[in-house]
Amino acid sequence: MSEPVSTCRREELKRDTEFRQVLMHLRRNRGAMVGLIVLAVFLICAVFAPLLAPYDPTDSNLGRALEKPSAEHILGTDELGRDSFSRILFGSRISLAIGLISVSIGLVVGVPLGALSGFYGGKFDLFMQRLIDILIAFPGILLAIVVVTILGVGVENVMIAVGVASIPIYTRLVRGSVLSVKEEGYVAAARALGIGNTRIIIRHILPNCLGPIIVQSTFQIATAILWAAGLGFLGLGAQPPNPEWGAMLSKGREYIRVAHHLTTYPGLAILLMVLGFNLVGDGLRDALDPKFRKSR
Amino acid sequence: MNEHEPMLRVEGLKKYYPVKAGVFSRVLSYVRAVDDVSLEIFPGEVYALVGESGCGKTTAGHTILRMLHPTAGQVYFQGQDILSLDRAALREMRREMQLIFQDPYSSLNPRMTVGEAIGEALEVHGIARGAARREKVEHILEVCGLASYHYRRYPHEFSGGQRQRIGIARALVLEPRFIVADEPISALDVSIQSQIVNLLKKLQKQFGLTFLFISHDLSVVKHMADRIGVMYLGSLVEESFKNEFYSNPLHPYSQALLSAVPVMDPFRKKERIILKGDVPSPANPPGGCNFHTRCQYARTFCSSEKPVLKEFSRGHQVACHMVLDEPDYERSTPFG
Repeated sequence: MSEPVSTCRREELKRDTEFRQVLMHLRRNRGAMVGLIVLAVFLICAVFAPLLAPYDPTDSNLGRALEKPSAEHILGTDELGRDSFSRILFGSRISLAIGLISVSIGLVVGVPLGALSGFYGGKFDLFMQRLIDILIAFPGILLAIVVVTILGVGVENVMIAVGVASIPIYTRLVRGSVLSVKEEGYVAAARALGIGNTRIIIRHILPNCLGPIIVQSTFQIATAILWAAGLGFLGLGAQPPNPEWGAMLSKGREYIRVAHHLTTYPGLAILLMVLGFNLVGDGLRDALDPKFRKSR
Repeated sequence: MNEHEPMLRVEGLKKYYPVKAGVFSRVLSYVRAVDDVSLEIFPGEVYALVGESGCGKTTAGHTILRMLHPTAGQVYFQGQDILSLDRAALREMRREMQLIFQDPYSSLNPRMTVGEAIGEALEVHGIARGAARREKVEHILEVCGLASYHYRRYPHEFSGGQRQRIGIARALVLEPRFIVADEPISALDVSIQSQIVNLLKKLQKQFGLTFLFISHDLSVVKHMADRIGVMYLGSLVEESFKNEFYSNPLHPYSQALLSAVPVMDPFRKKERIILKGDVPSPANPPGGCNFHTRCQYARTFCSSEKPVLKEFSRGHQVACHMVLDEPDYERSTPFG
């Protein structure tokens, strides 16, 4: 307010929309940019997989099985002579879809439940939380197995199963945040102004719970990809010859002494994608918080 | 002022909090945060509620606005029983009565710009939206000593005093008639306090507002208030017009409070009344007069009989056996 130099810059800032401010901040965050680039590369791979892949990912050639990386097969071939690079490219489609869709399912169901449970409390909260207790008592992967068993085997059902298994995590997380945020002065102020409960939850409480939700989601995408891989390993997920990274990993495990590239590269792919989501999530959390945004 | 109908009438207001324990949440006892408070506030006046921390001032203020639900008692605002209003009617009523908060840091949503925070209520009540909303918000910002270009800023860009101005602007934007100011300056630097007090005074004149001013700072209250109510352990012990109160405090507790206010004159000898002991727990208040455990004039009668608020002189009420010259007090022996 005092120095005139900064006022004119701020006047400019004023015209920016919230969205552009978030983008601007994200651009300054080097980690987030790296993550964004990694994810963009995976996205391009997923979308243009048929154009980029040198071979059909399901084309087997037993004569050239378990070959080391070479000019012809840059990441080598697997036990059936299929091109690893092509399989990893196509696998990014499945993994991205599993990560994003299952987390969306968890968010869409878990966040509202947690918010209502934390905000209203009382009998509803008690009932909800006991239900969540039961769900949490089982390891997530076991819960996912149960759901897949009920729904049937397949990638779509794996997404639903992993999503359902992550609901209790979100519900607990959001409930906890809501419990602390609803005691804030501005929530009382909103009530004093006659603002309705729905609007208070959406406009005042949830935006202030965003940090943990975003961070949890980026971890959850990683977890979802790994759970899906686990289900694939148990034969409940992507069915062969579908190129799913987790399934490739567990299959390649058998040949790790003769052909380590079968586990190394799908593993690296998982690592990079998970890292990308984590970096972007971290940057997004800071960018969405006005307090962090201005202080550089 | 008394020829008007009171704007706010509070009768026998009680707010007890249960103390629970065990698996089945057995209620062991109650914390009597507000215990039988009755008062009337007239249009255009500033009624100050004073007392030390924990005496129930804030709880009383919040209960009057129905931010908390009282255990017992009635609150009439402009003749209407606030406690019986349904949800929709209560929301309508919120336009008339507003709250200014103590802590300017937690009372503003860090993710909302100033414009959104102040303008939201206008939208919810269907008063103004879009450009009209912006115009109204910018106007109220200027009235409260801020600038219209603060509209797009976030709360963390402001100092404590400015934040409190935003909080005041938010409370005023609905053009309420009655405002509960809950220690609006106690969280601020001393240098800022006077600015905010003067702002509140200016606004009170400009809009003809009625205030319930909650404070523990008697020198600020002297500047702001028309009438003063002193609370001790959840109950009113004295109520009086300002000048009368400062020149002739009746209740021993009020006298002790006033003796603690610093005086500008270093040579003036002042009798300082030091209260012994602590405030008793509101979960287990002493029998009889709440104050008898710390009162230098206490007699055995005080420990058995609770004094009620009675008029001592015109407009000056006090709850004290000694001041009211009750014969049973005279007859009993000194306490302790």
